[in-house]
Amino acid sequence: MSTPIVEARNVSRVFPMAAGPIAALRNVTLRIEPGEYMGVVGPSGCGKSTLLHVLGCVDVPTGGDVLFQGRDVGALPDAERSRLRLREIGFVFQRFFLLPMLTAWENVELPQAEAGVSRAERRERTKELLAYVGLSARAGHRPSELSGGEMQRVAIARALANRPRLLLADEPTGELDQATGDQIVGLLDRLHADGTAVVVVTHDPAVASRARRIIRMRDGGIEEESIP
Amino acid sequence: MNLLNSCAPVESIQVLRSLRFAWLSIVRQPARACLAILGVAAVGALLFDMLLLSRGLVLSFRDLLDRSGFDVRVLATDAPPFTGPRIADATAVTSSLAALPELEAVLQIRVRDAQIVEAAAEPAGPRARLDRVDFIGADPQVRSMWTIVQGEDLPDRPESAPVLIVNEHLARKYGITPGSELLLRGRCESLSEAVPAVRFRIVGIADFPFDSTTARTVAGTLSWAERLCAGEGQDRAEMLLVRSKPEVGAFTAAAAIRAAHPDLHVVTNDELIERFSRVEFSYFRQISAVLATVTLFFGFLLIAVLLTVSVNQRLGEIAALRALGLSRSRVSAGVLWESVMLVGAGGLLALPLGAALSVWLDAILRTLPGLPADLHFFVFEPRALYLYLLLLTVASLGAAVYPMRIVAVLPIAATLRREVVS
Repeated sequence: MSTPIVEARNVSRVFPMAAGPIAALRNVTLRIEPGEYMGVVGPSGCGKSTLLHVLGCVDVPTGGDVLFQGRDVGALPDAERSRLRLREIGFVFQRFFLLPMLTAWENVELPQAEAGVSRAERRERTKELLAYVGLSARAGHRPSELSGGEMQRVAIARALANRPRLLLADEPTGELDQATGDQIVGLLDRLHADGTAVVVVTHDPAVASRARRIIRMRDGGIEEESIP
Repeated sequence: MNLLNSCAPVESIQVLRSLRFAWLSIVRQPARACLAILGVAAVGALLFDMLLLSRGLVLSFRDLLDRSGFDVRVLATDAPPFTGPRIADATAVTSSLAALPELEAVLQIRVRDAQIVEAAAEPAGPRARLDRVDFIGADPQVRSMWTIVQGEDLPDRPESAPVLIVNEHLARKYGITPGSELLLRGRCESLSEAVPAVRFRIVGIADFPFDSTTARTVAGTLSWAERLCAGEGQDRAEMLLVRSKPEVGAFTAAAAIRAAHPDLHVVTNDELIERFSRVEFSYFRQISAVLATVTLFFGFLLIAVLLTVSVNQRLGEIAALRALGLSRSRVSAGVLWESVMLVGAGGLLALPLGAALSVWLDAILRTLPGLPADLHFFVFEPRALYLYLLLLTVASLGAAVYPMRIVAVLPIAATLRREVVS
C-alpha cells in the first residue's frame, strides 16, 4: 500500500461560538491516495468545506490528526504549513480570488515566484499552464477583463503553478453557468488523467459524478462512501 | 518531480516582490491612494514647518550674532542691551580690555537719540520731518558690525569731519546717497535746551544686522555721538563688543574679561543663544512641539485608518493568498510596504509644500513690530530634515502595526467561508 498524500484520522473540528460550540467535523477518517479523484458532496453546513480546509492545511483540527505525506500537520509551525501549501497543494475557490491588479499571466506566476522559481522556469511554466487551460491569448488580461469561466481557468492554472500533488477545489463551478462549468469539470478530468490527485467539494451531482470516489457527508461526518 | 524543492527563496527578491505587490495594491485604488498621499502631504508639511520653527529663531539669532563679527558682549549689568545702565569710564575700560592678550578687538558702542532736521529729499507723510534716528557711535578703527552696501565705511581717523553711514531704510525714505547731507539734532535727556544741530555728510549706506524693517539707524564716530549731546554721555557706553582671538575662543576671552573687570557683565554669543533658547524663544519651541505631535498623530491616524479599511476590504483575497501558501510575514510585509510607500510619497510631497508654507508664515510673523528684519522664524537645517524623516518613518511603521496584525492573525478557513457566504 502506497503512502497517502493526506490522511485524516478521527478528525474533529469544533468552532467555539457565543451560542455554544459547533462541531463542523466529527471523527472523520479518510485517505487520499496519489492520483485519486474524489468528490465530496452533502447539504450545506455538513462540513464539506471545513474538511477541505483541514485536508489543505489551512485549518488545524481540534481533535484527531491530519498527516500530509506522513507528517503531522498539527505539529507544524505556521510557516511550515504555508510552505507545504505553496509547494504541495493547489487551491481552487468558488469565487476565484484572483488578484485584480495582476494579469492572468502574473496571477499564475505569483505562486512560482513566491516559491523562488527562477524567472526562466516561471516563464516556461506559466506559458505551459495558460496553454493547458486554453487561455494563452488572454495572458495579458486582468481578471476584470475575463469571463467567470476564464477567471476560474486562470485560478486552476494558478493552483497548478508549483506542480502540486493535491488539488483542492471548493465549489469550482458554483458561480458559473452550466456550459462554463462543464469546461471546468473537463479541465479537472484532464488534471486527474495527468496524475494529480483532485478533491472537489460540490453541490452539483454532475460534477461529483466525474469523480472516481464520492464521499457523502452529513452533520460533520462521512455518511456514505461510494464509487460511481 | 517537484521542481521547486531545489529552489531556495532569495530574500532580496522577496522584498522586491513585496514592494511591487504593495505598489500594485496602492494603485488599484487610486482615489484612496491620492487621499492618503495628500493627507500625509498636508500633515507632513505642517510637521516639517514645526520642526523648522522649533529651532528657527535660535539659528537665525545665532546667525545675526555671528554676522556682527563679535563673539563676546560686555554690559554694565545683566539687563538686555540698551535697556540697562551704561558702562562708566567706557574709554578706560575699552583700553584696558584691548590690552588683554586673549582679545583681538574691542568696539565701544554708544547709542544716542537724534532727530532729523534736514535731509536730501522730502519724505512722504506729514510727520516725516519729525523722524527720530538711532545714532550709533563706534570706534572706526575697529572693524564694525555693519556691512557697507553702497559707498564706503567711516574713515579710520576718530576725529574726522562729521560723517555718517545710514541704513537702507533711511536712505530709501530720504533719498540719501553717498555724498548727501543730513542735519541731525541730538535728543538729549538731561539737557533742557535744544542743542545745536550737526550737518553730517553721508559716506556710505550699510546693512545693520539687528535693524527692524522700519528702523532708522545711522552710525558715526564716538566723538560725534558725544558732540550730538554736547558731551552729555560723560564717557559712558551702552555696550562693548569684543572679538576674541581665534586661537583662544570666546569662552576664554570672556573669562579673561571677567577676571579683569568683575563688576561688568560679560556674555558670549553661545551663552546669549543658550539663554534666549531657554527663556525668550522657549514659547516657540513648546508650541512647535505640541503642534508637531498633533500633526504627526493625525498623519498616523490617517494612514492607520486607510490601511485598516483597505485590508478589511481585501480579507478574502488575503486569505486566499495565505491558502495558496504565502506566509504570514509575506502578507504582513506587503501591508508594511504600503504604509511606507503612502507615507513616503506624501512625506516627499510635503517638503516643497512645507517649504512654501514656511516662507509664507515667516513673512507673516516677521511683520511683528520691533523685530530685526533679518530674524527668521523658520530656518532650514539638515537636522530638521533628518528628524522629519525619522518621525515619518516611525509614523508609517506605527500606522502599519494594527492592519499588519489583522493580516497576521487572519483565520484563513473562517475568512474564506465568510467570503463565500457573503
